Amino acid sequence: MEFHARNLADAIEARLTGRLEFTDHDRLRDIVALLDGPNLRRFVVDVSGLDFIDSAGLGMILILQEEAEQKKIKLIVRGPRDDVKRSIDLAKIGEIVSIEY
Amino acid sequence: MRFNAFGQGDDEPGTVTRNYRVLLVSEVDRGSLAVALRGPYSALIELGGDDEPVGDWAAVAISGAGFYLSLTTATGFGLQVAALVSDELVARGVVTGEQRSVVELCLQEAVANAIVHGNLGIASTAKDYPEGYRVFSQLVNERLNDPVLRRRRTDIFTRWSSRLLDISVADQGTGFDTSVIPTEVDGTSRSGRGFVFMRALAGRVAVTDGGRCTSLRFML
Repeated sequence: MEFHARNLADAIEARLTGRLEFTDHDRLRDIVALLDGPNLRRFVVDVSGLDFIDSAGLGMILILQEEAEQKKIKLIVRGPRDDVKRSIDLAKIGEIVSIEY
Repeated sequence: MRFNAFGQGDDEPGTVTRNYRVLLVSEVDRGSLAVALRGPYSALIELGGDDEPVGDWAAVAISGAGFYLSLTTATGFGLQVAALVSDELVARGVVTGEQRSVVELCLQEAVANAIVHGNLGIASTAKDYPEGYRVFSQLVNERLNDPVLRRRRTDIFTRWSSRLLDISVADQGTGFDTSVIPTEVDGTSRSGRGFVFMRALAGRVAVTDGGRCTSLRFML
């Protein structure tokens, strides 16, 4: 998985590309570190460029949700498609994370 | 990638003929593994090290339509093995592009369990604590460098007919209590999603050998 971050008005958007899977935990800490940005109210994880996600990758999104919640930042997962959307739906991640299709 | 090839009944390594069935490899990377899978082999086995006797693998028996892939944990961890195997199943005409994504996700979950929880012996509860993902990541890196754990094998057996595809994934870990495998999860569940994915998408899932082998069946 690769990611690129950009600043929006009151948010940071992290655009993920490639595959988010069980070998990517090392990179999670870099994404979590983005939550320390100043005056952050929203954190958008754009997954429209992701081709694949496994259960460990979904676990990472839940970790991001917990970390964001602790900092009172709203996490939004944006643009899941195809196989990634199927995995998110199967795992019922939308019950606790805001998903924008 | 270095290799030795064995023909059926041929126990002399290094003999390259059109009839060989077993390929022993070392120094594997993703590209060379993909190329090797495209070859005429029914078994592709990564040697665990220079001290491993190559003759031990000569008697691997594969019959019918299928192939066997055996990789060390150190190699299998970063090669996206499930994607490679799924690509090969498409290339051989076993599954369609549409079926591929189902096979890939199920196989990915089985391989991830075999490597992380099986061969590396890391419990999913390692992530259940504050900063747990950092601890988990550190454990993975430490154990991938353990000389014993990194050589443990992940074995993938595939067999198919016109109507069925069977895939088994076996590891060399200590197994686990299969009675605790969840049948469903909600959005807050910490673990168990992998098995829920497999059960939702595969035609049949069986866990045997004390949790060391996961078998998946797909209707084609």
